Order: sequence, then C-alpha cells, then structure tokens
Amino acid sequence: MASLLTYIINGALMGLLYALIALSFVIIYRSARVFNFAQGEIIVVAAFLIWSFFFFYDLQWWLAVPLAIGGSILLGLVIERLILRRLIGEEVFSFVMVTIGLLILLRGVVLVVWGPDMRFFPAILPLAAIRIGPIVIDPALLYGGIFTILLAGLASWFYNRTQLGLEMSAVAEDHQTAMSLGIAVRKSIAISWALSGAFSAIAAIVFLNGKGLTFAAADIGFAALPVVLLAGLESIGGVVVAGLIIGITANLAAYFLDPIFDGGVAQVLPFVIMILILLIRPTGMFGWKTIDRI
Amino acid sequence: MTLPGGVFAETYAQDQALIRTRGQWIWFVGFMLLLVLLPAVASGRVVGIAITIGITLIAVLGLQITMGLAGQVNMGQSAFMGAGAFICGALASKFAIPFWLTIPLAGLGAAVFGAIFGSAALRIRGFYLALTTIAAQYIFTFAMLKLPASWFGRSQGLRLDPASLFSFAFNTDRRMYFLVLLLVVIMTTGAWGLARSRTGRAFIALRDNDNAAEVIGIDVFHYKILAFFIGAFYAGVAGALWAYYVRYVQVDQFTLWLSVWYVGMLIVGGLGSVLGAIIGTVVIRLLMEFVTIAGPALNQYLPQLGSQYVFAGMNILLGGLIILFVLFEPRGLVHRWNILKESYRIWPFPH
Repeated sequence: MASLLTYIINGALMGLLYALIALSFVIIYRSARVFNFAQGEIIVVAAFLIWSFFFFYDLQWWLAVPLAIGGSILLGLVIERLILRRLIGEEVFSFVMVTIGLLILLRGVVLVVWGPDMRFFPAILPLAAIRIGPIVIDPALLYGGIFTILLAGLASWFYNRTQLGLEMSAVAEDHQTAMSLGIAVRKSIAISWALSGAFSAIAAIVFLNGKGLTFAAADIGFAALPVVLLAGLESIGGVVVAGLIIGITANLAAYFLDPIFDGGVAQVLPFVIMILILLIRPTGMFGWKTIDRI
Repeated sequence: MTLPGGVFAETYAQDQALIRTRGQWIWFVGFMLLLVLLPAVASGRVVGIAITIGITLIAVLGLQITMGLAGQVNMGQSAFMGAGAFICGALASKFAIPFWLTIPLAGLGAAVFGAIFGSAALRIRGFYLALTTIAAQYIFTFAMLKLPASWFGRSQGLRLDPASLFSFAFNTDRRMYFLVLLLVVIMTTGAWGLARSRTGRAFIALRDNDNAAEVIGIDVFHYKILAFFIGAFYAGVAGALWAYYVRYVQVDQFTLWLSVWYVGMLIVGGLGSVLGAIIGTVVIRLLMEFVTIAGPALNQYLPQLGSQYVFAGMNILLGGLIILFVLFEPRGLVHRWNILKESYRIWPFPH
C-alpha cells in the first residue's frame, strides 16, 4: 500500500515536471503559432550552460543559474530573430520543417561545443530522499512540482489579467487581426520565446539535478508530448491537469502492468492515452476549438 | 512547363506521354543503361552506397505521397519501414516464404499499420497530427520489444537468409543491387503515375484545403487513409529490402531520428514532386557520404569530438540546409532544376 502511494505521488511529481516542459511548448505556441520541435534541444543547451558556469568557470549556484537562464533566454531570442521572424504568416508546414531543422542543427552544435561525453550535472536542489512515514519522495521532483504550479499560476495570471498578456493572447488568435488592432505581434512573439527559454532552464535543473548529462537528454522534449497534446496546445492551466493525469496513470501502469509486460508500459501508455483522447477531442482537453468555414 | 520548341501533341496519347522527343528518349535510355551497368564499372563501396540510396528513396517516395501530395504531416515513416522489415523478416525466417511474396506482403502489413495511424488524421490536423504520428514510433518500438519472442525476436531481432530465386541467391552487393534497382524503378513509376491520376489530384485538393476538397465532392476520409496506406506501403517495401540487404532486423535500426532525416530529404529536394524526392534523397545521401569521408579531417580541428564527428557534422549540415531551404527556397532543389531546364529551352531569351 505504501509503495503504491509512493508510485502515485512520484508519478504526480513526474507529471508536473513534464507539465513544466509542456509549459515552454505552450507559451511559444500561444503567441507564435509554432510548435517548437527543438524545445528538447533548448533544454539541453540550458543544461550544458549551467554545467559550464558551474564547473568550467567555477561560479556559485546563485550566479550560475541566473546566467544560464539569461543564456537560454538569449538563445530563444536569437532563434526568433534569425529564423522564425522571417516566417510570420507562412503555413504550418514551414514551421514544422524549420523547427525540425533547428532540432537537428542544435544537436550537432551541442556535440561540437560540449562533446559526446557524459557530464555530471551539479546538484542544485537537495539530493537526500524525503521520507514521510513509509513514502519516499525525490526532493528535486518535489521542488519541481512546486515550481511548476507557481510558474503555471504566474503565467496564467499574466496571460489573463495583464495588458501585455491579453495582447499576447490576441496575437495567438490571429496574427493579422492582432496586427491591424495595433498590437506589436513581433514583440509578443519575442517575449514568448524569451519566457520559454527561461522555463527550459528551470526544467533542466529539475530534470537533471545531480544526474548524468549527455546530448541525448533532449529526448525529454518528446517524452513531454503527451502532456502538451492532452492539455491542448493553447492551454496554460491545462498542462498542470494533463501532467497530473499522465504522470499518475503512467506510474500506476508501471506498478500494475510492468510486472506483466516486463517493463516499458509507463513510456508508451501516455502516447496511447493521448491518441485516444485526441480522437474524441481533436484539440486536447483545454485547447481552443476553431470552427472552419468556407 | 514549356515544351521544347516544335513539339506539339496531336493525339490524346501524345498529350499524356511522359517522354516526348528523341532527345528525351536518348537521355532516358542512357540513364537506365548507366544504372544497369553501374555494378560492372563501380567499386564495391559505390554499389553499397547505391543500394542504400535506392532503399532510402523508396521510403522517401512514400513520405512524398503522404506529405508532399496529400499534405498529411507524417513523422512516423521509419516506424512504418520497421513494421515492413519485421513482417518480411518473420515471414522469410519462420515460414520460408520466397522474397517475391514477402516484399509485397511486408508492404501491405506496413500499409495497414500506417492506415490505422492515418485514420487519426480524419479528426486531427496540423501540429496535432504531426505529433500524433510520433506516437506511432513509440508504439512500434514498444510492440516489437514486447510481442512474443517467437514472433519478432524482441530485442534480439531477426536474422534472415538472402533473397533467392531458383537457387540464385541475392547474397552479394552486386546481385542485391539489381533487386533494389528493379523495385526502385517499379515504385518510382508507380509514384509518378499516382501523382497524375485521379487519386493524385484528390490528394492535392486535400493538401490545399481539406474543407474545400470535401465541398467539391472528394471523400476526405477515404483519401486521407489512402494517403497513409500508400505512403506506408512504400515504407514497408523499403523495410523489406533493408531486411534482405543487411539480413538482420532490429528495433534500433528504425528510430524517430530516421523519420526526421526522411522529412529533411523531402524539404531539400522539394515537396510535392516525385523528382523532388529523388533529388533530395540522392543529394542528402551523397552529402552524408562526403561527411563520412571528410570527417577525419574535421576531427583534427575539433579533437574533443572523438568518433562522434560524423554524426555532429551531418547534423549541422542537414539542420542548416533544412533551415536555409525553408527560409530561402521552400520549393526545394527541384524548383531550381525546373528553372534551369526552362531557361535552357527558351534560351537565348531572358527568363
């Protein structure tokens, strides 16, 4: 019973980590109308930046972390400025292609700059497991869960209550209409890329705290897909709900089904759930429904 | 498209013909002869590269039909290819079925697998669809590793004997080359025909606007599934050839990364045309070979890369190329080729 409870709680926390990564996807999609396939690579770049500031330049964590966050914000802005800005108004296809190109390019660049070796990511969050009675919790994931809820709340407040956030939501509806209403579309898109970069750096800290880091860590971006799609690409609050659903179901599956299937169910079940729900609601649970008219 | 000067169609058959002039016939026959004679003159390494190009080309042609013609973004082509390879491997190694049956059966099996994921396209569109097809990759890997070991051998994979016909075994690269060449010719001709058929036109209507396509009487459900079915059929055939070529099928050979590369080849070549798929595949494959050769030199300047230089170099090259093509030449290399051909025909007049 206690181990089942441990599975559920850690599943929920893992789901919240996916939700944090999902947030960085959703923030870009909301204003730029782009699903950034390269998000996983941006997380890896952020992680390597932290590693470099820590061990290469020997900085303290309170200096290294803000610098790395600044670095990934800068990366987001550079990508937006050099590539995505030229594609405003193009069709979905171009965006799929260009971010896939970016994914491939960034992976190559990471390999050239940092090499293929395994690095040890610094333990910024505490490492010792938290025990509440018989239940064991990973502290990095616990802090991560708190970050996710705080950041999702903050982002939700920003988009729904502030002038700038509301303008950015208008940009998400339609670029041309927003532009004709005098909203700075380019500025909104740039802000969203910067925000997403910052979120990626935080996700990297939670995900990799005290673990090994290689370029392959970027796969977490694809692992977070079910959460993004379940929530719907536009929904900020929804990612928390979707994260909890996916995380808890995956870990329950790991508890009950893995002994039968000899492992692996927890990785594939989220995708099955995602497809089933998308077949019922094609824009996720909380995505915006658009009506096509001719 | 401008025809060469003085060429006019007088009958419907002439209007439909692909090859019109004597010059075109000479080029066509010469090119086919070159392909047939290649193993006789080229080194073993070149033949090996040609086989890989041929197999990749079949998979990319399938992706061109699903993505370029019908406009359904598909990021799971390598999973469909894997499904074909495993089906072919199982049929050949467990039931000793000859290759001229396993290859089409592998194609059909992969096509059914593809159509199941394609049926999601009826309700799901745009980015949601692109991401849903990624799920095919995860589900394929899971299934191959979890289905009973007596079916697909789980993580050990499957080994199979070379394809053979009446005691003639395709057991060397040179012999395998002719099998691949034959299928490449059949599949390319098929894709060319499809693109100009009623089905091809329905696909294009679907790509341009699926709501409008429905209004003008195109059965959207039927054609969307058909697009995935045909595309995955090509992938399955490519997978079966791959299985006979390396004679060893394993899950790790068919990754999401491979699907991403196939998409990259399409973008560089040009979406929506058969020639684009051919150009993209050949150019990217040759670039990969170039990086493999140039890699050791690169390694002198970047010693920290170790043996990863090929992977890193290819990623930077392909990633950069894709971005540049989307930004500056979204219609791909085939568009440049067409311009070149046109300006040759109307020379000396300015284009």
